[in-house]
Amino acid sequence: MFLTRSEYDRGVNTFSPEGRLFQVEYAIEAIKLGSTTVGIRTQEGVVLGVEKRVQSPLLESSSIEKIMEIDTHLGCAMSGLTADARTMIDHARVTAQNHSFTYDERIKVESVTQAVCDLALRFGESVHDEEAMMSRPFGVALLIAGIDELGPQLYHTDPSGTFMRYDAKAIGSGSEAAQSELQDKWSKQMTLREAHILTLRVLKQVMEEKLDQHNVQLAQVTKAKGFEILDEAQLKEIIDEM
Amino acid sequence: MLDMHSVPQQQPQGRQFNPYTENGGTILAIAGADFSVIAGDTRQSEGYSIQTRYAPKVFRLTDKAVLAVNGFAADGNMFVKKVRQRLEWYRHAHAKDMPIRAIARLIQTMLYARRFFPYYVYNILGGIEEDGTGAVYSFDPVGSYERETCRAAGAAQSLVQPFLDNQIYFKNQTPAAGTSFPSHLPLSTVLSLVIDSFTSATERHIEVGDGLEMYVVLARESTALQGVEGIGGVQEITMTEEGHRVFVIRRELKKD
Amino acid sequence: MSIMEYNGGSVVAMVGKDCVAIASDLRLGNQALGISSNFQKIFPVTDRIYVGLPGLATDLSTLRERFRFRVNMYTIKEEREIEPETFARLVSSTLYEHRFGPYFIEPVIAGLSKTPSGGVEPFIAATDLIGCLNFAKDFVVAGTASAKIFGVAEGLWEPNLEPEDLFETISQTLMNAVDRDAFSGWGCMVHVITKDRVITRTLKARMD
Repeated sequence: MFLTRSEYDRGVNTFSPEGRLFQVEYAIEAIKLGSTTVGIRTQEGVVLGVEKRVQSPLLESSSIEKIMEIDTHLGCAMSGLTADARTMIDHARVTAQNHSFTYDERIKVESVTQAVCDLALRFGESVHDEEAMMSRPFGVALLIAGIDELGPQLYHTDPSGTFMRYDAKAIGSGSEAAQSELQDKWSKQMTLREAHILTLRVLKQVMEEKLDQHNVQLAQVTKAKGFEILDEAQLKEIIDEM
Repeated sequence: MLDMHSVPQQQPQGRQFNPYTENGGTILAIAGADFSVIAGDTRQSEGYSIQTRYAPKVFRLTDKAVLAVNGFAADGNMFVKKVRQRLEWYRHAHAKDMPIRAIARLIQTMLYARRFFPYYVYNILGGIEEDGTGAVYSFDPVGSYERETCRAAGAAQSLVQPFLDNQIYFKNQTPAAGTSFPSHLPLSTVLSLVIDSFTSATERHIEVGDGLEMYVVLARESTALQGVEGIGGVQEITMTEEGHRVFVIRRELKKD
Repeated sequence: MSIMEYNGGSVVAMVGKDCVAIASDLRLGNQALGISSNFQKIFPVTDRIYVGLPGLATDLSTLRERFRFRVNMYTIKEEREIEPETFARLVSSTLYEHRFGPYFIEPVIAGLSKTPSGGVEPFIAATDLIGCLNFAKDFVVAGTASAKIFGVAEGLWEPNLEPEDLFETISQTLMNAVDRDAFSGWGCMVHVITKDRVITRTLKARMD
């Protein structure tokens, strides 16, 4: 696919004669190198799970941050170049805060997702003669989880600025196997606890290391308590139940 | 040689453009349990001259929100235009009508954005809250706001507000033993009070009169209309099929 | 700073069926500072005439004494009680004497006049600070809460109220009006003048 490299690889905003934006496609490829990330929607709320690759025994696993809060009712998990996600989540947080400042209500999950995707497409954009603020597409995909008046929702965004709503979605290196497992096991009536366990099972299948409370992270968004990252004690309890 | 003393000395003269005018009139809103009434007279004046006998001060924003603006008419009309524009943008961005609570906050941010060159208007926003209750929000020109059961503003505020305190909040009244005052009044009573308020204000205030426009916003499945079938001059102006209904009732006021 | 608002206070008078009522608040202030909550502004002139004197408190004391003097002189010279309308003219001319250095008081007069048939007829009047008379048929107001009183009175008052109903109407009118006025309030006093007697009541009110 990428053997026929050409001059159309150069400009980030240049279409190839076949109608492709190579840099964007490469960015999407970058996500497939990232750790596996899973999101599951239930009636009670949304669950996010990530694998934390602990490359060295000297690494403090608690310093790996792949699930982040956007607002009290919104959370986000990432895969790919996680440094790029900081810019996107910063933007999402500002958008959410601006919304509640201006409208005295929580922003909808779709609206915050749209805002993030608007940003994703701003690469190579420049004002007048100045240098472009972002020189390349983001190399990260996000799973945005949240609850609003339309209920619990899960959105997936990629570097092309496309977003789609899912009942369950896996991204990252193990995403193909994980996605088919989710397709088999997801059901409309599943409880939040069942979603926790399914998330961990799916992660366990695609992980090389043995899954424990240190090398995975779970988060949830519920109507009652909003976004929360489960601590290691809660995580262990679920792992023991698996 | 020129005699310098015969040339009239040029004195420095200060001139200042005053960007504001006060155009009189009064607005009023009262919230019921599942409805809201927003009213305003239609006289527009400048000093002792009447510019027009029909200049609306009350505007339907959505099927659950009506905005009344009083003060400097030019600012008022422009402000309503800008609010409507923001409502449209919001509808496009978020695929829903803005709830009244959000409109109230939006109005605050829009007014405060002009903290140092304010819109010279008092706003009263009436309508239906997301939980189906009648709501009234009142604002000062720079965006300080509050949700209330009733509020009068404008030229005859000082005449109308204490009357409403007495008749809506039952201030300085004691309920008969074993009874209590209602927290919300029926639509027929509210309409009577609005009409009485405006006829009183018309009687005693030169800037109030000519016409009265009363907007009634009903929540979904509201039964508030029962008991007011007899009232004349009612026109329904509902736009959507969502269940909230908006009516306008037009009446004459004295023109002297 | 307006001299008329220096001490605060308001008065209202209303006509009823064969009766009149006059009421005032009880506040004396020094601009925003409250000084007294028992400061009367209404005084009897005869058994059937009361006068309310809202405005500058120092002028109130002076005017009250001047009116007392002039009414006494009238009574002695004429050998009869002064009629409400005559008293109103007296008030008017007294104030107009000071056309270019006025007393800062806007008097309100309430009383019952004698009719030729031997009955009584309600009479109310008010003047501005230079004595321009206003003989209203329904109600008259004066003081810092005058606009508010007008609004409530216009909504509550109706013709031919019996003394008890007139008392309720004037009390509600005044109390709700002064509650929206920072310069008036701190209690109210109401007089209802009927053919047989004068009913005077002090009202408990908001003290803020």
